[in-house]
Amino acid sequence: MRTVSIVKYYFNLVLAYSTYYLQYAIGMFADYPPEVKVAVSVTVMCLVLMAVMGFALLYLSRHRKKLRKIRLRLEDRFGKAMDYMLSTEAQKLMSTQEIASVFGIPKEGIGKEILKNRREKEIFVQLFYQRFITERSDLANRNNITSLLYLFGIPEFLEKEVSLRSMKHKVDAMGKIRTFKLPVSPWVINKLLSSKHLTVQRLAMYSNIMLSSDSDLDYFETDFFDKHCCIKDEIELAYSLQRRRRAGLKLPNLARWANLQKNERSQCMFVRLMRRFDELEYCDQLTELYKTQHRKKKLIEEISRTWGYLHYTDSEDLLIDALLAQPDDTKVAIMHALTRFATGRSLHALLEGFKNTTNPHVRFEALRCMYNYGDEGRAQFDELERNAEEGDKKFFDFFKNSITLEKIGLDKEQAYHPSVETVYNG
Amino acid sequence: MWIAIYYLFCYLVFGYTMLLMASYLYLVIMSRKAQKNQGINIPDDETIKYFMQGSPLTPAVSIIAPAFNEEVTILDNVNSLMQIDYPNFEIIIVNDASTDRTMELLINEYKLVEVPYDIAMKVQSKPIKRVLKSTEEKYSKLVVVDKEHGGKKADGSNAGINVCSNKYFVCTDVDCIIEPMALYRMMWIVLNSHRPVIGVSATMLMSNGCIVEDGRVVEAAVPSTLVPMFQQLEYLRSFLISKLGWSSINALPNISGGFGLFDTDVAVKSGGYDPTSMAEDVDMLLRMVTYMKNTGQDFRLGQVPKVCCWTEGPGTVKTLCRQRMRWARGLFEIISNHRKLFFNPHYGPIGAFTLPYIFIFEFIAPVLEMTGFLFMVWLVLAGGVNWDSAIILFGMIYIFSIFMSFFVLYFDYSTKAVEWKNTRISYLKLLMVTLLEPFIYHPIITYCSNVGYWRFISNQTAVWKPIQRKGVKKKKS
Repeated sequence: MRTVSIVKYYFNLVLAYSTYYLQYAIGMFADYPPEVKVAVSVTVMCLVLMAVMGFALLYLSRHRKKLRKIRLRLEDRFGKAMDYMLSTEAQKLMSTQEIASVFGIPKEGIGKEILKNRREKEIFVQLFYQRFITERSDLANRNNITSLLYLFGIPEFLEKEVSLRSMKHKVDAMGKIRTFKLPVSPWVINKLLSSKHLTVQRLAMYSNIMLSSDSDLDYFETDFFDKHCCIKDEIELAYSLQRRRRAGLKLPNLARWANLQKNERSQCMFVRLMRRFDELEYCDQLTELYKTQHRKKKLIEEISRTWGYLHYTDSEDLLIDALLAQPDDTKVAIMHALTRFATGRSLHALLEGFKNTTNPHVRFEALRCMYNYGDEGRAQFDELERNAEEGDKKFFDFFKNSITLEKIGLDKEQAYHPSVETVYNG
Repeated sequence: MWIAIYYLFCYLVFGYTMLLMASYLYLVIMSRKAQKNQGINIPDDETIKYFMQGSPLTPAVSIIAPAFNEEVTILDNVNSLMQIDYPNFEIIIVNDASTDRTMELLINEYKLVEVPYDIAMKVQSKPIKRVLKSTEEKYSKLVVVDKEHGGKKADGSNAGINVCSNKYFVCTDVDCIIEPMALYRMMWIVLNSHRPVIGVSATMLMSNGCIVEDGRVVEAAVPSTLVPMFQQLEYLRSFLISKLGWSSINALPNISGGFGLFDTDVAVKSGGYDPTSMAEDVDMLLRMVTYMKNTGQDFRLGQVPKVCCWTEGPGTVKTLCRQRMRWARGLFEIISNHRKLFFNPHYGPIGAFTLPYIFIFEFIAPVLEMTGFLFMVWLVLAGGVNWDSAIILFGMIYIFSIFMSFFVLYFDYSTKAVEWKNTRISYLKLLMVTLLEPFIYHPIITYCSNVGYWRFISNQTAVWKPIQRKGVKKKKS
């Protein structure tokens, strides 16, 4: 009570003084023109803001010093033990007591709070996280790491961060949960999924894909990726799927997800992921998409590439039919797909692709495909070269040199060898 | 009537000043907002590295660095570029027919041999004589392009674009010192955007006064001489307030030629750099924006709030003046060449806000300031000054300018944009400079801008003299 009354007293005192000086200032400038009054107000505002920033700087500086001290203390106390936990020596399965003894924690300390408060836990996680995201973490025994984190009460702390604090903390904590591959309760996942922030929702989703044993992405709305899709999403999804595959879990049906999207960018993403994870099984499900979405040239390009890469030869007729009707960039992708099939049925399509365009890039790629098509293709290439008009001769020369370059690209040692013959230089 | 004109001019200048201050405040708020948003999306460097390093989907980048007669520093600079930490990048050094030993040094040091190279002249540049690569695996990232003399950095950059094979390229100067994590920081913006990113600007600071070891800035410090110190403060304000603020509404007006990332395809389709331009970086960015808008494509321009690159700036008033006169000419040229973008909402926030801002507050300001100064002198001589009001008004402008600089220091400290060697001393130096800036530095810049404008109007030929580099301090081993 006494403290409250003292605070009240000083507050009133400050208020009274400020009111007095403000009135004095207003009175002082009463006779001045309005521009001077504005100038004075701006000056006062700037001074006040500078004072606030000055105090903020002082506070920040003190706060950082405090954090640095804690960091040094924790590093000093647990640093070596953390390093040990990621070393080859700690690969064997250890009991909680053994881990505790490595960290210098007595028997009676197990199960009690080792780190005093949230701040210490945060710094401990940071210190460990920085070590953990190095290559060394691959050597670590996952069970030991999980026991260690439980020993220090980290999982509960991270879950609290995820569910209670600001978006920034949610994102950070979720990132760490995923890095350490800690199990997350369904309650937390549901809470995150219902977050209004897309970033948080996505993190929950990727974590779930990576950590849960469910085989599909059914727990998300179908237009999830249509709202916001960036390269990072693709990388995140690829990581999560890769980890699922490593753990022996089935991948979701990516073709179905490509079909469910409306946005071209997200459709392309799922098609690319199919290519990346060799999902030949569902390639036929892209046919409908190919037929109905023919105006989306990027998507058609990606599907053609995926079919070619996965050797889905059933699509060959569809690709041959589409070749001449597509824009140049897509044509190139289709020609490459046909070359990968190399069934002998599509050589005429490549020839058409070469003749029916004036775009040098497409002609160049058509020649490249012919050249790589096998003996028949090589023969056709030679014939074209023999019959080439004067203007086209240079084009063939240029092309041949590019093949030399390609060979160099394939063979690294040869590429850096000075004996490589220089035929063309720009 | 004269009295009416007098009052009109006074109120015009007052209104202009208030509007300028309001726009600065707006940029302050927007930069803070951008930093807060990015704070959520940009994790610490280690996490970014962990995320991008292991993924084959991380986009590849080409670093293009044109060089002309750089025999003194070329090897150090290439070694510095080699230190960049990124999983997938190539370094393209473009030798613009140097007359000194630049090429010879490169060939001997990196065991370069001529290789056949598939070059399509996608953008205009002087013919490429040969392309060289190293016979040693450890230098496999290095590509050296030897071309005919173009005389301009833009021509060299264009040759680099013709050779570059990646989706993104970074244009830089060979004498820039790049932070090892710079590419990660820039590409993080690309990875996080749901719209195609066509350009990313990185924060650049002066390397004068910094200590460099093995091509890296190991101790960041404020320069010890006055001219670079003023510029350091100016760079901090420009990158951390102005550019970051504009980037929050996707209206970045400039990606510095010293270190900026571009989408290769869009840059090629908009014609690459213009070797005849005095402000080729702004010019190319505006053409890229025009191309994207005219073809109805959505895009994003980003700004990295952390320092990514260190460059040596003019150390003397003479070189500073030369540089600023060239910038002023460049600004005039941009305004006359891209006038259709100005006040044109078709070109998005850049046309509707940024370019009008540049026109009103950056282009007109030096002229207005000069006029105001002359008017003030005339009033003093005529005894027509109300000193009370004049002092108050001057005080307002002075305090506001200090406030802006103070804010940038606060911003820098709270975001850790720069890791200063000694934060307290660095800030004290910069605060001292803040107090002097309106009296010393600002009049010089105003004068140079006016001279630059005059030279542009009177069609005087521009001579591009390179800045005399003193080199950076190296740590003694």
